[in-house]
Amino acid sequence: MDTSGQLAAHFFREHSGRMVASLTRVYGMAHLDTILDAVQDTFETALIHWRYHGPPDHPRAWLSQVARNKLINALKHNARHGHATEAEFPLHALSTTDPDPVLADEAPTDGQIQLLVACCHPALSERDRILITLHILSGFGIPELANALQLNREAVKKALQRSKAILRQKSLKLGQHAIAAVAPQLPTVCTILYLLFNEGYKATRNSRGIDFDLCYEALRLTKLLRPVATPEAEVDALLALMFFGVARFPARLAAYGDWIPLEEQDRSLWNTSLITEGFHYLDQAQRSGYAGRYYLEALIASHHCAASHFTATDWKTIHDLYQLLENIEPASTLIRLNRLIAKSYALGPLPVITELATFTVNGSPGAAFLLAATKGHVYQRAGYTAQAHTAYEEALSLAQNPLDSQLIRKRMETSPRT
Amino acid sequence: MKEFLMLIREDANYGELSAEEMQACIEKHYRWVETLREKGQFKEAQPLEAGGAHIRGKQRIVSDGPFLEGKECVSGYYILLAESLEEAIEIAKGNPDLDWDRAVEVREIMPMED
Repeated sequence: MDTSGQLAAHFFREHSGRMVASLTRVYGMAHLDTILDAVQDTFETALIHWRYHGPPDHPRAWLSQVARNKLINALKHNARHGHATEAEFPLHALSTTDPDPVLADEAPTDGQIQLLVACCHPALSERDRILITLHILSGFGIPELANALQLNREAVKKALQRSKAILRQKSLKLGQHAIAAVAPQLPTVCTILYLLFNEGYKATRNSRGIDFDLCYEALRLTKLLRPVATPEAEVDALLALMFFGVARFPARLAAYGDWIPLEEQDRSLWNTSLITEGFHYLDQAQRSGYAGRYYLEALIASHHCAASHFTATDWKTIHDLYQLLENIEPASTLIRLNRLIAKSYALGPLPVITELATFTVNGSPGAAFLLAATKGHVYQRAGYTAQAHTAYEEALSLAQNPLDSQLIRKRMETSPRT
Repeated sequence: MKEFLMLIREDANYGELSAEEMQACIEKHYRWVETLREKGQFKEAQPLEAGGAHIRGKQRIVSDGPFLEGKECVSGYYILLAESLEEAIEIAKGNPDLDWDRAVEVREIMPMED
């Protein structure tokens, strides 16, 4: 805390994950629900007190102390009411005079990594993994999760209950395994963090466009993994990719909330210090000598970030990188279309039109939308206005959210009908 | 200078607030109180525990009080310093609680007659 009574940005979120991690290590995953309640309750108590007198001198210590006391009281209450047997949890082991488990936790990062790995357990669906990760490690409540991922509250509640039951059932004994043992799980964890970032970034369901909180949390959790990272997990490459993404946030959304396509973005709005940070992690990733999916994507993003104007973009290199990506992920419509778009800028739209004509996508409406939108744009640039219009009409009928429709309508306005 | 009691009424449903909103709520209050202090308009403030008791009449009937869950109740008080009720109302309008749709009540504390 600084002298003005100001808490660091995201202080509550970060400390929430840290406290849950330390408390589950000491008291066990079996008490996850009680721990989550105690932590949530602690923040409410902080809200009530701090808004009258400002944060205390040592806000972390204050929160830890309050959370631990609340937890111990709740565990004693549960034990008295038969929710836990004495053998399972000896009451005499619960003393508020013991060292504070959160403050005494010398490896708070390890605890959070283990919890993160637990939340990304393969027994859970991808969606459930994202939900439980945000809930447990980032302090997202049910209303917030419902809002961020555009689900109804009941669905979120059920998903969390299901996931917590599985976590308890697997009786994950955190802290008993060496932290190095998480290495094989890291690629899965990175996939979830990548999806979480995209959830915030791609506005698949949210009319607000970019959800900064989700992206910020994805970045923070990915950073946590650095001390245990292996080359195959591509942690640094993923970080680079995320930094190149957030650096361009301010230019991606117009003041009135519309998407602004790359060629129209005001590049002076890109955050250069975040871009520098992206290059730092890209450099680190390069040293690992492993060129996987995230590394290639980060490299592509770095070429966009390095171009002073849209016309200065090195489309030839970007095309070649997309080709390499396509070799790794041959089923991805987005990657295949992006390669064609890069090609259309490198060689002109005409050579791409024949390839687009025979391009097929899997059944998902999202993929069909991307294809139609790409067709419209390429036809338009080639001067095939009638075909462009038909493709845009198709894209409009497939649009997944208001921002996508808005973007297509804007493109149609610039494409005169013949 | 007169003293005014400002009561905060809210239905305490903090579970709806995100971590960022909670932090923003704390920071806005803290900054507001700082400006009141600088202007000499602040005497003291305290939050109240949610629990408590309601005791009524000759029979001294004790109940859990009007602290039903989900109902608006007094969550804390401030003592403000102002020249008049009008000025106290203007000060109270600056209370960030109002941004979260809570209600405040301002009452002049009757000065003791010498």
